[in-house]
Amino acid sequence: MAKLQKFKKREVSMLLTAVLLGFLIALQARSFEDVSDVINRNNRSDVFREIQILKDTNDQLRDEIDDLEDQLVKVSNNQDALESVREEIDQYEALTGRIDISGPGVHVQLAGDIQAIWLTDTVNELLSAGAEAVSVNSIRLTNKTTGFDTIPSGQIMLNSVILNEPYTIEAIGEREVLEEALIQPEGIIERLQRIVSDVEVIVEQRDSVTMEKVL
Amino acid sequence: MYKEAMNKAEEQQFEKDWKLSAVFVVTGLFIGALLTVQFQSSIPSATFLSDELRAQKELIDGYVDHQGLLKSKIVGLRTEISAAQEKAEASIQTANLETLKGLKEEIGLTSLRGPGVEIVIDDGIFVNRDNPDTVSQSLVHASDLRDVVNILRTARATGIAINGQRVVATSSISSVGNTILVNNFHLLPPFTVSALGDPEIIMQRLNDPMALPDLTKRTQDLNIQFSAQSQEGILIPEFSGNLNSRYISEVDVPNQ
Repeated sequence: MAKLQKFKKREVSMLLTAVLLGFLIALQARSFEDVSDVINRNNRSDVFREIQILKDTNDQLRDEIDDLEDQLVKVSNNQDALESVREEIDQYEALTGRIDISGPGVHVQLAGDIQAIWLTDTVNELLSAGAEAVSVNSIRLTNKTTGFDTIPSGQIMLNSVILNEPYTIEAIGEREVLEEALIQPEGIIERLQRIVSDVEVIVEQRDSVTMEKVL
Repeated sequence: MYKEAMNKAEEQQFEKDWKLSAVFVVTGLFIGALLTVQFQSSIPSATFLSDELRAQKELIDGYVDHQGLLKSKIVGLRTEISAAQEKAEASIQTANLETLKGLKEEIGLTSLRGPGVEIVIDDGIFVNRDNPDTVSQSLVHASDLRDVVNILRTARATGIAINGQRVVATSSISSVGNTILVNNFHLLPPFTVSALGDPEIIMQRLNDPMALPDLTKRTQDLNIQFSAQSQEGILIPEFSGNLNSRYISEVDVPNQ
């Protein structure tokens, strides 16, 4: 009887220890997954953010439809057609980088041992938040700009120009929204600072950001 | 003889105990892991959880469907405007019309066809993207697509699209959890990245082991599917999103 009790006690304590061990192993595995998620540079799941993005996008598309309908009316009227086309040309010249532009926005400065992926991701975050124009170290990003390339020395190159530190990213758009997109908890800046040691980051709203035309 | 029998009985008992202990340990580990997953799951608390999740999915599907309609309306209106401009050529002046055509092409408002490369990237075979709690390296992430697009740009691709969604200078490729958004439009795997340009240069860049280190490693280790092929007649559709320029203004150049 005593032997049976001793056996039971031993088994129970083993079971409890194993449960605790299993708990710790699973916890550890999940925290590794969290780290991988961060390394993957992607946002965490948030269904409400997803719905908000969809709603905002649809609102913007509706605005675009309103603008296009107005434009169609103008173009269909011979007297307004020329003015409408000139307006369209002005808009596209600004978007393609053929003229100097300015507007409210943000100024971001990154200094440290930063890989090209962080520049890609920061630019992407600004575009996702509605930036209308972006430049990196004064190079305007247009459809003709090449991607960020890393040369054998480790330096980052854009449009055949080697980028020097600190990297300066400027964007034109709704400045509060752009700043918030970058500095939000678990946002790009927080993740960058967690992964790249000794990185120095400055994010500032600006009343006016100027971008020179693409030569 | 008696001693030998005793030893044998003890040995048998020991073996039995050992087996039993092993069963207990394995069961314990399993229960522990199960409890942890249960306690750590980030499923929102609700009385009728499945109803809430279904409602969220329906809401998202509704927005996505509506997005499709709005996109086609935008493409239709732009086509109508171009046709009206051609019609009003006399009052618009041919030079303006030519300039406009060139700018539209440059900005991505016209479709393109030509030689290039088609890349197909798909999730690993054992992962479920639909489960919002799945955080896996075996899924294709937005950052993978960003890296591929960046490499294509370094290879001087003249037009890029992902699953028929034109990627322009102001396009964003983001994710919210496992949902990938290009120009804020929902895309589902497999992801077909089409790029117009010199196929030789593009393939050379893609085959460089240093070009996409993370994706290459996960393709080898985690069954992510990646293939790239040169093609003669790749179609890149026109950009169907909005071209915001509400905050941009032209800098006034002082008269000299």
